[in-house]
Amino acid sequence: MGMAEEIITEPNYEKLCSNIINSSEHIRFAGFVNDKSKILHSSERDNLDPLLSDHEIGMSIHYTLERWRKAQNFTFRLGKERLTFTEYDQVTLVTIPFKGKLLLVSTEPRIHYDPIIEKINSILTDWEKL
Amino acid sequence: MENGTISYTQLLREDLGIFRVTPDDGVPDFKAGQFLTLGLPLESKIVNRAYSIASSPENKKFFEFVIRWVRRPLPGRLTSLLFNAKEGDKISWAKPAGNLTINDTLANGEKDSRRIVCIGGGTGLAPFVSFAQHLHDTNDKREIVVLHGASYVDELSYKQLLTDLENESIDKGKDKWNFKYRAAISRPEEWTNRAWHGHKGRIEQFLRSNDAGKSPLEELVGEKITAENTMFYVCGWQGTIDGTMDYLKNKNFVTEKNKREDGSYEVKFESYG
Repeated sequence: MGMAEEIITEPNYEKLCSNIINSSEHIRFAGFVNDKSKILHSSERDNLDPLLSDHEIGMSIHYTLERWRKAQNFTFRLGKERLTFTEYDQVTLVTIPFKGKLLLVSTEPRIHYDPIIEKINSILTDWEKL
Repeated sequence: MENGTISYTQLLREDLGIFRVTPDDGVPDFKAGQFLTLGLPLESKIVNRAYSIASSPENKKFFEFVIRWVRRPLPGRLTSLLFNAKEGDKISWAKPAGNLTINDTLANGEKDSRRIVCIGGGTGLAPFVSFAQHLHDTNDKREIVVLHGASYVDELSYKQLLTDLENESIDKGKDKWNFKYRAAISRPEEWTNRAWHGHKGRIEQFLRSNDAGKSPLEELVGEKITAENTMFYVCGWQGTIDGTMDYLKNKNFVTEKNKREDGSYEVKFESYG
């Protein structure tokens, strides 16, 4: 009898980013990075002035991954990390772990976040059901 | 167990540190590459764990260790205590042990004059820091190559010491002290490593031949690496050991654990995972 093989399908990050960007007019950016800081795909809303240079984006991803890695040191006590928010004056950064990768989303600041997060989680959950 | 004092701590990163233990009754004789079992109290018990010694046997002032605080899936108990300890705290230790030591003779009893190549992954570098200092202090004339693999540049714990040893080799000449040190960074695309211009990839890739049939190690030493001219010592995660053997087994290298009938071998290793 042969062994059962698990079929692992990589998410379509381009489609996921597109769906997330289109889920709310308040979302500026959506992107997935792996644990080696590689951007798997990212999408930005059109006609927005960038807040960070390319170098600063690399730095920002580094800080986000560092924080994510350190947060995982409490997984054995607190369970899996589900979501983080960092609200700056000019933008809010949201991170959501997804299948060993990290979803990075930036939104306008000081908005009502719950419906946005619900939509994002719904998009991610819908993909998992496929 | 013997008694000692944590005499020096230096954090290189949040999860990587150098620790020194000064024994109450002096440093006993040991061999470069051996490990020491350390013990600290936790809830009325003593928690023990073995760590490779990074200092040389000639250093009679203290034992030195480079230690990674691994916290996933669970934080190690003794390592957590060590990272919380202060200079001056008491610590217990058991006598040095371990077999990842330098071979000075071949299986046939002749002097081993082969090149020594040390491959250390992460804190698996520790025994080779001990090797390097010991071989230097005992005026050994063999060619020594230390290769260190790490994920991030701030994990290159003994870069300065090993670079100084290589510079001394250049200054004095190979006939007096023949030492080379190279490092590889496995996550070169990460921001922390943005200025890294050394070897990129896993450390065992130093053994992978390029299109011209030469490996970076062979380019470094200037000749073909064979079982007759080189002895390998490897320490790190099992993946580092397996990756190294993937390259060496096709070149008729044999490990100590699978030595030939005549007792000969060219690879000694120790894994910590």
